[in-house]
Order: sequence, then structure tokens, then C-alpha cells
Amino acid sequence: MHIPDGLMDPTVAFLGWAEFVLVLAGSLWFARRRISERDLPRVALLCAGIFVAQMVNFPIGGGTTGHLIGGALFAVLVGPSIAIAGMTVVVLIQALMFGDGGIAALGLNALNMAVIAPLTGWGVYTMLIQLLGKQGTLSKGMALAAGAWASVFVASAACAAELAVSYAVSAGRYGIGAPISIPAMLGFHAVIGLGEAIITVGVMSYLSSVAPNAFVLRKRTVGAIAARIGVLNSPILLATLAVLLVFALSIPLYLVYASEGKDGLEQTMDRSGTEMDEPLLESPFSYGQNFFTMLFAGILGFLLVSLLSIGTMRLLGLASGRDGST
Amino acid sequence: MIVGHTRGSSFRARQLDEHSRSSWLGRIDPRAKLIGVLCFIAVAALLTKPDLVIAALACSIIFASISKIPLRHIARAYAATLPFILLASVSVFLFTGWENGATMLARTSSCTLPLIVLVSGTETFELFSGLRRLHVPALLTSLLMLAHRYVFLLSDELSRMTVARKARGFSGGKSLLDRYGLRVISNTAGMVLVRASDRADRVFEGLRSRGFDTEMYVWRESRFGRSGVSFVVCFAAASAFLISFQLGVIG
Repeated sequence: MHIPDGLMDPTVAFLGWAEFVLVLAGSLWFARRRISERDLPRVALLCAGIFVAQMVNFPIGGGTTGHLIGGALFAVLVGPSIAIAGMTVVVLIQALMFGDGGIAALGLNALNMAVIAPLTGWGVYTMLIQLLGKQGTLSKGMALAAGAWASVFVASAACAAELAVSYAVSAGRYGIGAPISIPAMLGFHAVIGLGEAIITVGVMSYLSSVAPNAFVLRKRTVGAIAARIGVLNSPILLATLAVLLVFALSIPLYLVYASEGKDGLEQTMDRSGTEMDEPLLESPFSYGQNFFTMLFAGILGFLLVSLLSIGTMRLLGLASGRDGST
Repeated sequence: MIVGHTRGSSFRARQLDEHSRSSWLGRIDPRAKLIGVLCFIAVAALLTKPDLVIAALACSIIFASISKIPLRHIARAYAATLPFILLASVSVFLFTGWENGATMLARTSSCTLPLIVLVSGTETFELFSGLRRLHVPALLTSLLMLAHRYVFLLSDELSRMTVARKARGFSGGKSLLDRYGLRVISNTAGMVLVRASDRADRVFEGLRSRGFDTEMYVWRESRFGRSGVSFVVCFAAASAFLISFQLGVIG
């Protein structure tokens, strides 16, 4: 999944860098409050451990092998903010020291493997563990497997979309066309994701039986910090926000690709000669005509929908904090 | 104080740095090398006109050949990245013809070669301290430095475990349905993490005894100096020349 330099359209690569730097800055802010001086070597060793675990190939069948990405495993072990910082270190070492992935494409590589993979894995795991029950080994295993599979699949979908958008916006000079990139990446990684799920569950069950406190960090968790802020005091809410953030990251890329043509209803109205009447209510905002106004509208819409969802969940009692902050 | 501990004695980590001592690049301030090379890579990745891409590739080859880093080492490192480069180039070739495929191959190579030369011509810890001196957050650079050191220790342990597995008759499993094979692989990955965790406390005590305070200090002060400025000016001029032609400012 490592994208080399020169493959991605510059606009897409720049968007990847911008998004990655923003998310990394936020995660470092949280991570600095979680990692004590004593924990620094532990987290560094975990980064090295994940790097080395990526060297362990597992068989897929037919002589093909895949390898662990480890984003979900990292995030479930130490939380998403440290996982983002740690996976960034893994991706940086791979790019700088081993030529695995480019520098101009580092933003996109880090976005896929160091941001989207851990956030998705942790979000899905945390949501499912709350819904299935925290106690049972089976429910924990199922939640972990689902999180690990989703982390690989969603990260590969993001990579395929980036390749396809690069190809489309550059008229074939960059990227790989959607008919090749999307089925190839998703098909292959749907199977690799199964391996990731099995290995992640295996590693976690091994760790919980051999060294259950191996990666317990001493400082307070993001959940506790969030509880002090007073808004995000529920694991379900944090997990929902993690998954929503993954969707939000796709907004700028989607807007690059968005067509200026008419949608299906507008086309039908055009063909039938139907004219639009004056609206009953004039909206205070519009999507605008250029990339930045559309991006602003997208971010505003995302924030409004997130706040409304949080409010609704609070009203329904799903996120009242009684499910316990971690 | 991380450097004092992490420089350590790993033979493989030292091997990575051996060419930085034979090349003139090793004497240039790491910040100058990072700024110059990364600026050139960013510009080379932007180029779409085939003749400019060839010019950027020529610049990269000239840089590699005058760096005094053995060409065999550069070729070996380039060969390791070639599968990724070829995958991209062949798929572009299949979709849009040989010219775009060849341009992709040349463009990707013109970005990869300077990076290989930069990394080979700079001691790893100088490279990371250069990042820190360019104001990359301390948490990230400290993690980078420590993690890079431990990658070699843990990969050595993984090699020993792999040999032990083979000695006991394990051949790597057959497919995703091979439960025994996947359990052995999971336990191996888990064991790597457990040993990493066991080592962490000893590492911390070692770091504390050397006055560890999470900040990165270099053991050899380097100044930007005339050589650094000349290096940046050369790369900036080449990058400006290429981007000007690409944007139609010149020509």
C-alpha cells in the first residue's frame, strides 16, 4: 500500500499532506499528555515491534502471502492518538531508510496507514465492544477482528480512491484508473484483511495470556482528558467521532473529483422542460462555485451533522457517560 | 541525550551509515541536505512534460554519480523500490500508452534516486537531528530515533525466532484456513511485542543513567556554513529551472 513519489497528482498529494499534518498535530497534542518520560522507550519499542511484525508474512493461499499492517493492533493497545504518532514513525522510517513509499507521497501514505487504519480499527473495535459487551472473550475477539479487517479494507479503499482521483483529474498522467485500482486494491485487501483480523486477534490473545500489562501506559487516557473537557465523555461518542473523522478526511478529495455537471433529478427536469419555482425558504449558505467555498460548506455540514448526532445520542441516553470512560 | 544511548553498537545500524563517511555529503549540514533534496523531490513529482522529467532524471543521476557513494549500493537500494515503481508505471502504460508509462517510470525514479543518495550519504541520527533542528516535533523525532535503533534489535530477534520455528519443522503455513500456521505466526508477532515490552524498562533505566530528558541533542555540532548554502542553492536553482519550464514561465 506504499505509494511511490511521482505516482500521485500534485493536488491530491498536497491535500494528503495538508490533512495528515492537521491530524498529526491534533494527535501529538493528545499523545504528549499521555506519554510520560518512562513510556517513551515503550512506545518506541512498540513502533519497532509493529515495524518488525510487518515483516512476518502470513499465507493467503495459492502461494501468495500478505503481511500485518498493525494500525488496529497499535490503536487498541495504546489508544488512537499515540497510534497515529507511532504509525507515523513506522511510515517515516520505511520511507526515509528503506525507500518504501515516497516523500512527496508521504502525506497520503501516512494518511492511509497511520491515520485512517488506526482510527477505523479503534473506532469499530470501541463501538462494537460497547454494543457486544465488554466481558466475553468471544465478543472481544469479534470486535477486534472486525476492527482489524475494517482498518485494512478502509485504508486500501482510501488508497484506491486516491489513485483513481489522481488518474481522473490529471487525464491519465498520474495515478491508476478506477477500473484497475478499485477492484484490485479492494479485492486483494479484503482477503489480506482476513489475515490481519486473525493475526491481530491471535496477538492480542497471546498478549493477554502472557503479558496483560505489557503496554499499559501510566498517564491518563484520552477518554479522561475528554471527560475533563466535558463534551466527549463516552467511548461510543469518541469511536463515532473517530469513524466520522475518517469520512471527513475524504471530503477534500471528493471535492477535487466532484463533477460540475447536473445530477439525475436536474437532468430529468431539464429533459421534461420542468422549471424550478422560487424556494419557500431561502438558505443562508450555498455550496459556492469553487473548491474552497465547497470545502467550507463540506466542513460546516460535517460539524453540524456531528453535533446533531451527538445531541441525538445524548437525548436517547446512548452517550450519557454511564458506559464509563476509559 | 537519546543519541548517546541509541547510537549503541548495532552492527547493522552502523552498516547503513558506512557510506556517509566516504562521501562528501557526510560533511554537509543535515538541514541543508534535507531542504535541498526534499525541495527537488517535490518539484520532480510535479513535472508532467516528458523532456523535463528526463532532465530531472538526469539531475538525479548526476547527483548520484558525483556523491561518491558506491553505485552498487545505490543500484541495490533502487532495485528494492523497483517493484512499486514498475507496478505504477506498467498500469499507466496499459491505460494510456507507452509515453505516459515511460514518463511515470522516469519521474518516480528521479524522486527515488536523490532520496537514496540523501539517506546513504547522511548518518541516520544526523538525519533525524536535522529533522528536529528543522522544528519537527520533539516527540516524533525522539520516537523516530529510538524506534529506528530498536528495529534492528527486534528484527534480529525475529530472525532467531524464525530459525527456531524452522528447526522445529514449521514452514510458514499453507493458507488462511491453516489454523495451526496462523496461530504460530500470531504467537511469533506477539512474542516480538512481549520482548519489546520486557526491554522497555531496561532501556528507560539506561537512558536515565545517561541523563535522558526526551529532547534530542547532537553529539557533533554542525553549522549550515558555505557548503550548506551552496548545496541548497544548487538544488533550489535546479528545482526553480525545472518548475519554471513546467509552468511556462521560461520557454
